Amino acid sequence: MTKVMAQLAMVMNLDKCIGCHTCSVTCKQAWTNRAGTEYVWFNNVETRPGQGYPRTYQDQERWRGGWELNHRGRLRLKAGGRLRKLFSIFANPLMPSIQDYYEPWTYDYDRLFSAPMQDDTPVARPKSLITGENTKISWSANWDDNLAGGPELAPADPVLRKLSDQVKLEFEQAFMFYLPRICEHCLNPSCVASCPSGAMYKRSEDGIVLVDQDRCRGWRMCVTGCPYKKVYFNHKTGKAEKCTFCYPRVEVGIPTVCSETCVGRLRYIGLILYDADRVAEAASVADEKDLYEAQRSVLLDPNDPEVIAAARAEGIPEDWLEAARRSPIYKLIFDFGVALPLHPEYRTMPMVWYIPPLSPVVDVLSGTGHDGEDADNLFGAIDALRIPIGYLAELFSAGDPEPVRNVLRRLAAMRSYMRRINLGREPDESIATAVGMTGERVEEMYRLLAIAAYGERYVIPKAHAEQGARLEESMSGCSLDYEGGPGMGGPFGEASGMPVPVAVENFHALKDRQTTGALVDPEDRQNRVNLLNWDGKGTPDGLFPDRNGRKQP
Amino acid sequence: MDRLRGMNGTVHGGVADGRPSLARDTDMCEAILALSGTTNGHLAAQGFATLARRTGTGFDGLADEHKKITFADTQARPVPVTTSPEWSGSETGGRRYSAFTINVEHRKPWHTLTGRQHFFLDHDWMHEAGEALPIYRPPLNMTVLFGEPGIGEGGEQGITVRYLTPHSKWSIHSEYQDNLLMLTLSRGGPTIWMSPADAARAGIRDNDWVEALNRNGVVVARAIVSHRMPTGTVYMYHAQERVVDVPKSEASGRRGGIHNSLTRLMIKPTHLIGGYAQLSFAFNYLGPTGNQRDEITVIRRRSQEVDY
Ligand code: SF4
Ligand code: SF4
Repeated sequence: MTKVMAQLAMVMNLDKCIGCHTCSVTCKQAWTNRAGTEYVWFNNVETRPGQGYPRTYQDQERWRGGWELNHRGRLRLKAGGRLRKLFSIFANPLMPSIQDYYEPWTYDYDRLFSAPMQDDTPVARPKSLITGENTKISWSANWDDNLAGGPELAPADPVLRKLSDQVKLEFEQAFMFYLPRICEHCLNPSCVASCPSGAMYKRSEDGIVLVDQDRCRGWRMCVTGCPYKKVYFNHKTGKAEKCTFCYPRVEVGIPTVCSETCVGRLRYIGLILYDADRVAEAASVADEKDLYEAQRSVLLDPNDPEVIAAARAEGIPEDWLEAARRSPIYKLIFDFGVALPLHPEYRTMPMVWYIPPLSPVVDVLSGTGHDGEDADNLFGAIDALRIPIGYLAELFSAGDPEPVRNVLRRLAAMRSYMRRINLGREPDESIATAVGMTGERVEEMYRLLAIAAYGERYVIPKAHAEQGARLEESMSGCSLDYEGGPGMGGPFGEASGMPVPVAVENFHALKDRQTTGALVDPEDRQNRVNLLNWDGKGTPDGLFPDRNGRKQP
Repeated sequence: MDRLRGMNGTVHGGVADGRPSLARDTDMCEAILALSGTTNGHLAAQGFATLARRTGTGFDGLADEHKKITFADTQARPVPVTTSPEWSGSETGGRRYSAFTINVEHRKPWHTLTGRQHFFLDHDWMHEAGEALPIYRPPLNMTVLFGEPGIGEGGEQGITVRYLTPHSKWSIHSEYQDNLLMLTLSRGGPTIWMSPADAARAGIRDNDWVEALNRNGVVVARAIVSHRMPTGTVYMYHAQERVVDVPKSEASGRRGGIHNSLTRLMIKPTHLIGGYAQLSFAFNYLGPTGNQRDEITVIRRRSQEVDY
């Protein structure tokens, strides 16, 4: 008997990403536009080859995120077990510093209005948000966009460094693509396993990985533990925060903000059923190159009657099972076989998968005067081009080029099969057969990848109140009954009653930021002080009146 | 007009007697919204009816006749405009704008001599210039024409390169590449992209402050050195804000300019054809080509101490 669980998962089709950063901006506006999270991007889009954000996060020899196998072949955290952690709990050397992310800044915009009469038009110069001083900007959340600074910066790309072939960073050989990233909501999350306070958890209903803000003690072990560096430290609250898979949205059946606003319409969201009892076993297969297949073997066929029966036994509701059967994610991973996990070698069993881009191959062909839509040209190039394919393999299949080649062959077949139809010629079934598909399948895949209708890209069942104790914002009880909210009932202040829902806190924070004139830490911004956490040292903002005797709000 | 009078009130006495009032800024906004087919469905419907009479084809169902967007609507939230004959795309029924859908789907003739899309320009002057069909013209020789140094000349003191000003991938002009979030996702201010070989010759490293200078003006920006750039050419992406992080120039002592400080419009005889179907004057800028983008510049590393 298998223990069936449901997981909300995402697939991104990289050929369609235009690197516009709309997803990052809308995510930031929704979730991290608050004091303490200035440098935080739950969603970021990085140019590959490049260093990524935070820089070189993929270098696990340095950052030691994720899992490794011990000499008995059992999983253990790469950063070490409890004891090792206890010793480093106060000074954790495996944490990216603010310089590894970037030093956030703003501009002296006020000067544009307040500058005195002068010969030249006034300009807003950059000011560090850390020091409040003038600064020269020398790193950002996406410094090497579009291969900016390539010759100097790209050699430090940990993925490039793994390639055995020498990659020349020259105009003629240049290739690039965009990699949008969010938290992977892993089946075997090393962030959760790293937390000494048990503050991180994977929701049982849909697998979303969250931080319990009340239990988090700010140890930051999760930041080290996550190999994707997708847990962040809010230096204002002293607690960890991370991508929430927009749970307030998906609980009511609408896609995450990044997906909803994606200009390329390249994101897919759906349910995957998996066997929770087999996750640890699959994550510990000896050869890293087998991890992709091992993870696939944990994912269950939603049409299999035995799986359905086992899912019912676990209390998964019928409409969820129906959603699992219609899941675009299942189709992309299994029926079409074109989606691959990001860095399976980290052994966290990530659940945001990617369709690797065919464009580096097509670009080489058209750049050399060949027809980039001809099946034979494409198949030949996929076999011959070692560098872009080796690079993709280091990202999506632990260095094994075969899974990447197979996906690219299928994408190439779709391209040339559909072109014939477009030009009014007879469909050529042999193109589909060459990649183990039928013409009909190719057309189905084309529909999902190219037409990409909204209702087919996002198949998200609504949450059930009876399902979980942990559905945050749709929790029963008065939704206005949070601290400071209109319905707040109890006589005690902070830390009694329920925390402010994120959506509400964020709304106010955003309003404060947009209406305040100050550069750094404006004093008219609402500050929260937790007296229960105050150890008597220092003077937290907002606790005492300021020097001028004016009481802070 | 009656509706506008109803909203803004009527002027009594003087030259504007009986006209809708434009006394306040919001009155003017209401007037603009009421007089454009994209915000006043009634006008759009009227415009399409007139167009149908002229073209003999039908535009039924495109205009949203009863839709009227007021200034208050636009203050409350962004409001999509409606389909109107000023534009060639249809947004009817929540459709995304795409150019020329009305021409293709409603058989509205193109604004050309033949009413079709055509490349052939049958005009005496075009024939004389040998440009009746699109042809390749090599870049202008700025050295001969304007005494600029030759491409590839120079060294440590600055090298001469082609200067191009393409649109960036994120934006239409400063929208939205220059808001704080997008600046945080790039280099945070004006930049010029250049190739590693050119940068090495001029002693420029990635993120160094540089100045680009020619007979038209001077630009102060930071360099991006990338192997994505071919040798001999630099890019300064179109319309980066001049009010954000632009220091004073060493060459002029004044505020550094924008991308267009180095370009200047150039007119040739074929640009002066007028009153001939699509070859007529419209207020934007002169000329069917972007030949003013065909420029060169001397780019050099400047003092890294910048003064605002
Ligand atoms: S990607 Fe997300 S779920 Fe996976 S280890 Fe990192 S924070 Fe945890
Ligand atoms: S919004 Fe979509 S297309 Fe744009 S950067 Fe994000 S993932 Fe790519």
